[in-house]
Amino acid sequence: MKTQIANKLKIVSTKLKPILAKSKSVIIAIFIKIKPLVEALFAALLGFAIGAVLMLLWKFDPIKAYSALFQGAIGNFDAIARAVGCLFQEGIEACKASGVIYGIYDIALTLTNATPLILTGLAFAIGIRAGLFNIGAEGQVYMGAMAAVAASLFSLPPGLHVFVSILFAMIAGALWSLPVGLLKATRGVHEVISTIMLNWVARFLVYFLVATALVDPVRAEKSIGVAPTARLLPFPTTDLTLALVISILFALIVYWILWHTTLGYEIRSVGLNPDASRYGGIKPTRTMVSSFVLGGFAAGLAGACQVLGRPPTYALYQDLSNVMSLGFDGIAVALIGRNHPIGIIGAAIFMGGLSAGSNNMQINAQVPLEMTRVVQGAIILALAVPEILKIFPALLGAVVKLFSLLRQFFQRIRMRRIKRTTS
Amino acid sequence: MSETLAVQMQTIEKTYPDGTVALKGVNFDLRRGEIHGLLGENGAGKSTLTKILSGLLKPTQGHMLINGQPRHFRNPADALRSGIGMVHQHFALVPTFTALENILLGQEGSRLFSSLNLNKARKHVETVMQEGGLSVPLDAITESLAVGVQQRVEIIKMLYRAVDILILDEPTAVLTPIEVHDFFKTLRVLRDASKSIIIITHKLKEILDVTDRVTVLRQGHNAGQIETKDATPGILARMMVGHDVLPSIEKTPAQPGAPILKISNLSVTDPSGFRSIENLSLEVHAGEILGIAGVEGNGQTELVEAITGLRERESGDIIVNGSNIAGLGPRQLYQRGLAHVPEDRRRIGMVLDFSLSENSILGIHREKRFKGFWGKILWGKVGEHTRELIKKFSIVASDVKVPARSLSGGNQQKLVCAREFDKNPSLVVAAQLTRGLDIQATQYIRDQLVRLRDQGKAVLLVSADLEEIFQLSDRIAVIYEGKFMGIAKPEELDRERIGLMMGGVNAPATPVGGAAR
Repeated sequence: MKTQIANKLKIVSTKLKPILAKSKSVIIAIFIKIKPLVEALFAALLGFAIGAVLMLLWKFDPIKAYSALFQGAIGNFDAIARAVGCLFQEGIEACKASGVIYGIYDIALTLTNATPLILTGLAFAIGIRAGLFNIGAEGQVYMGAMAAVAASLFSLPPGLHVFVSILFAMIAGALWSLPVGLLKATRGVHEVISTIMLNWVARFLVYFLVATALVDPVRAEKSIGVAPTARLLPFPTTDLTLALVISILFALIVYWILWHTTLGYEIRSVGLNPDASRYGGIKPTRTMVSSFVLGGFAAGLAGACQVLGRPPTYALYQDLSNVMSLGFDGIAVALIGRNHPIGIIGAAIFMGGLSAGSNNMQINAQVPLEMTRVVQGAIILALAVPEILKIFPALLGAVVKLFSLLRQFFQRIRMRRIKRTTS
Repeated sequence: MSETLAVQMQTIEKTYPDGTVALKGVNFDLRRGEIHGLLGENGAGKSTLTKILSGLLKPTQGHMLINGQPRHFRNPADALRSGIGMVHQHFALVPTFTALENILLGQEGSRLFSSLNLNKARKHVETVMQEGGLSVPLDAITESLAVGVQQRVEIIKMLYRAVDILILDEPTAVLTPIEVHDFFKTLRVLRDASKSIIIITHKLKEILDVTDRVTVLRQGHNAGQIETKDATPGILARMMVGHDVLPSIEKTPAQPGAPILKISNLSVTDPSGFRSIENLSLEVHAGEILGIAGVEGNGQTELVEAITGLRERESGDIIVNGSNIAGLGPRQLYQRGLAHVPEDRRRIGMVLDFSLSENSILGIHREKRFKGFWGKILWGKVGEHTRELIKKFSIVASDVKVPARSLSGGNQQKLVCAREFDKNPSLVVAAQLTRGLDIQATQYIRDQLVRLRDQGKAVLLVSADLEEIFQLSDRIAVIYEGKFMGIAKPEELDRERIGLMMGGVNAPATPVGGAAR
């Protein structure tokens, strides 16, 4: 009897062993995967704490402010649950009639805000993965939005028109990114310089086009509206459109490209170690150009989403206010999301919520705009610090390089002066 | 020995934060006015011990007496104040500063904007140089100075800071034989000026040449201490390794076949205009290992890069398997049967932040066997390939998904070698194949290289390690300033002659050129 049990136990334990070993490695793998998430959570808490201290210092009630922030960003969980339940059981029309559907209004606003940020975040992250500091998304967004509007000059059947407009926008974004890559590859022009310059060129070019070729004949403060056939229609009672799905899909595609294709392998390899990449038969310059183009696609698409999928405007304002600063916000999103497509989706939603909620913070907690900005800044900074630290050595290197160049320059002058005085 | 010792370290233990135990109760003492050799293999604990002495690391346990006084150093500046200074293997000099500026750096005066009295400082530095019998051109830009001179700048820097205990980490690794000779002379002068010097090395000959006493470490323990006059290479080697050194590699005589690599009149010029390879010709045949010996920086890197498609030639032809490789990049060359083990595995041979899988396909990542639709990489197949390499080369790794950075140096190099040797190449170019590896890994990788040769591959081996060159090569070429001083079979060469040739001295007794075939 005893031996039987012992034998059984032995069998069970031998069977369990590989399973245990496997589950151990799985647990470790999961831990590695969620570690950034845990870190981000702590960073966010730290940011909120700093914000709270700042508000206390200026005699605002942080609890009231943060609950307003939360309200504005997400809303009421009950209301959301009721709205979703209603949508499934009774259909849209009935929910609209009873008003239950308004429960999703706040969270929908957050997601609407997040949509373009996902894409501009990707544009920056793809650059970083290739070792590039691409801050040109801003200008590429303008160009993309402009091209998407311009596509409405044609008349095409619905569906196809959306597709063509998006294609226009992506190509425009990529075309605005391509010279940066080519200049870097052939002439060694630093991408930070060329993208900043191209951002301004794009800005004034689009100002000009919106005021001339694309101007709305009736209302001069904006461009012509996007043709109804090219519009993405909002979900009832919200501003949320298919653009969100498109941008999440694009993020997944970028993820797939970066980690599951040869191109992505080469991009990441060049970003981590250009010397080893050259040794591995990869041409760093060519890879950099591809990453610029890929980033341009993302930024152009962001522009398209802002004009095709953002009711009620469906146009470009002449001052570009509905596409302004998305590219730069994308940098923060990418840093918070650790330059990972999936992280970026989360980070963009977080940022979207932060800006939706801070409006509510102003209205319902009487925290002035300046203070909400400060609090926002504290939170974003706390979240972005790990990535900033990662980039820091490269920036420091650039500064050191600059100084040594200056030094050599002055030395040369000094030598020349000595030569002149001696001869 | 009635006088107090300069340094006394007692039962020093050091555990790194990651759990590695580097020192397990080491005792060390240093007399005044002696040159003390610290000998040991990689990982024996030499660096850790000296880093503790110079204030870079804090010991987990144990105490130190400096000139009889107990001391705890919080940082290197603390140690410097007690008169202890270390010259690292990689110099801490600002390349664009003059030598004088580098010597004064950090000592300009304590206040932020206090003006630097250059003339006074210069006089001080000059007296320091005189006392130490050292001289450097003080106004020359540091990066324009030879490595040996830069090293002197570092030493003067220490002396200027009134250091009387000087620690030198692998000081001769970067020097030519002639520079080493001068350097040793300097050390003796300093010793006679009653400075105490610790010199870290793994070269037995240098220990015997210059030191007064030797402490040998092995795996974090004291393996012995001996007056140099009582030591022989055999004794030291036994202390260091625990058993007799370097079991020789079993190697049958080479059976060279057709020439695989043929270089004629190759010249390579840097972007800066410096001609690093001049009119060089060589042939490597199937089934032989051609070793290129020489002090580093004599054109080896450039030669290897030219052959492996990483550098433009200026003139001359490189022919691999009968076809000229002008204008071909690394990938085309790999397709034509080249395998390349680069000299710096961490910087060039692999992407440290990539996983083992990702590293195992670097350079072959576009091959059909790993590729699916739309440029998809079949990670499943890559993983299989990696596991196979890990098994074949007995690489110690927990998983194929861990970053290459997490492997030890030996396993990293094994991975690079595994990837390259597994390509079934016809030509293998390997540079500094076993640098910095422990004896086991070294033996293993060298064995594999000989096995490749026996399979009829042509092997070009570049190494600064003479041991390696002699052990593996079927023919040896000595390179000096981008030219061959001669090509000969190993049995026709002895160490002294090769040493002379590496230093640029012609050694005419050796048959030169093609005669060695």
